[in-house]
Amino acid sequence: MSDAPRVRGAHAPGGIPDARRALVEWVDAAGDAGRTFLQVRLLRTGDGLYEIRHARDVHRSILSLETVTSDPYAARPIAQMTNGGEHRPLKTAPNLRQGWALVDLDARALWTALDYLYPACALHWHAELAGTLRVTHWREVAARQSGMYGAVKLLPADVVRNTVRACCGDAVCLRRVAWNVDADTPLDLPSEGETTGEALVPCPEACSMFVSFARQVLVLERAPRMELTGLGRLGVEEIEQVREIATAAAAGTLGAAREGEFGEGTNSRRMRYLALRLAEEKARIGDLPAPELPCEGCPKAVPCRGCPMVA
Amino acid sequence: MQALIIIGHGSHLNAESSAPVYAHAAAIRATGAFHEVRECFWKEEPSMREVFDLVEADDVYVVPLFISEGYFTEEVIPRELGLDGPAPSVTRKLGKTIRYTGPVGTHPSMSRMILRRAEESAGLTDEQARRAGLIIIGHGTERNSNSAEVIYRVSREADEAGVFGHVRTGFLDQEPEVGEVLEAMEERSVVLVPFFVAEGWHTQETIPDDLGINRPAVSPVTEKDGRTVFYASPVGTFPEIARIVLERAREAGAHIPDGVAVGEAAGV
Repeated sequence: MSDAPRVRGAHAPGGIPDARRALVEWVDAAGDAGRTFLQVRLLRTGDGLYEIRHARDVHRSILSLETVTSDPYAARPIAQMTNGGEHRPLKTAPNLRQGWALVDLDARALWTALDYLYPACALHWHAELAGTLRVTHWREVAARQSGMYGAVKLLPADVVRNTVRACCGDAVCLRRVAWNVDADTPLDLPSEGETTGEALVPCPEACSMFVSFARQVLVLERAPRMELTGLGRLGVEEIEQVREIATAAAAGTLGAAREGEFGEGTNSRRMRYLALRLAEEKARIGDLPAPELPCEGCPKAVPCRGCPMVA
Repeated sequence: MQALIIIGHGSHLNAESSAPVYAHAAAIRATGAFHEVRECFWKEEPSMREVFDLVEADDVYVVPLFISEGYFTEEVIPRELGLDGPAPSVTRKLGKTIRYTGPVGTHPSMSRMILRRAEESAGLTDEQARRAGLIIIGHGTERNSNSAEVIYRVSREADEAGVFGHVRTGFLDQEPEVGEVLEAMEERSVVLVPFFVAEGWHTQETIPDDLGINRPAVSPVTEKDGRTVFYASPVGTFPEIARIVLERAREAGAHIPDGVAVGEAAGV
């Protein structure tokens, strides 16, 4: 067991005061440039006073921003919805809305505001730097699930790896996964390169979005699969998903499925998982051989060369 | 220093589920009774797994914004928070003393609050209320009798108070079904109160659609079959719930100075 319930949560032996002090010193040291933390810029604006904005809003005039307030709790509704009005169940999704500034924050208010924009992130950032982050590996998280999520413990290690790649990449979550399948089974994720912003925010434990997504993956993985020439072994639902994606792309509605709507084939994480599955099958079966049949209605012999239709 | 943590279910799909938790937390924060008030969720962030890291106080009171005792309050929440047991329980860990209370829905003052809210939201005088009926709507499930039990108890207490002509209970997923209960009411004027924590698919769509009344987005009032039906907001969104949260914490030992009042402006 990597993490007994008794000590669970003790990421910060020095508590919030230590982490807050470290955050403030880190921002102060950056001077007028400020620091980019995930998608926001933290800036010291005066003696003991700070401002937070979306990193893409730093060059905008403050008069052009819709919300400017010194209330740190205003961060809460800012973090709730995307610019398009979609619910944000995961605050580290790279879709924080723009058009606001939290100003004249003292050190405590800076901490509070950041904790409502990115719950627990500054604390985990500091714990990572201090070497005190407590990690809970997947097998332990899966083992304690019950009810409708109890079955996620059945996911084999290689499927857990693909699930993490689909569910936790920077395109959908800016935290960096710090946990493994279990203490002896690494995830071996491909490098994601530079972090967004200057702070590495680790993910110490699979979140509820991951558990919920893992349950959906389990359904897909347990479905019977058939060998399809050129595509590999796919389940009925995966084949249907390819159609759904093509239809939605053609209609311009791709992206309409909500972030947490894992039952939808056009959900972004579902599509990421399908892409991994198709790539995996492609690697297994290799390239499709050149067709040895003439095109429909073509009188020419096989193999075909210099097709007039192509010209 | 003492901190209050309010736990909600939350949702991967919509913002309505967590809205009452945030509203009641803001109302209680404004009273200054706690040094810190923090929200946490099963399906949103911050999660229950990290919430004790997010408060500085050593004395922590944890109140679930749930309707009944059951799977979540007795199994999921204690497990995710790493508590020593279901409510009422005291757990010492991480240098903190954590007191876990029962859910708001089972608090004894629930029936009084529902009666007052039902009268107010329907705009009834005391005399009009005595001639009206009240139906408390529960989700109900055949799998867990606790959720139905609390609603029956609250309905019985509300009926005995004599504020309304009759108070009845109707369910979505078990007998008696709410539509049949509404049909059987003698009163010409009936108030419906969903015993739910938050607005959502059931309160905004399935309940009004099944009953053939206006969705709340259209109007809270429907004239139907010679009867006036008032459809109230779900109980979890009533501003008075913040008082029940405070009361739960006080009963668990939180120091709440006399005269602390939760503002009425905190409606969701």
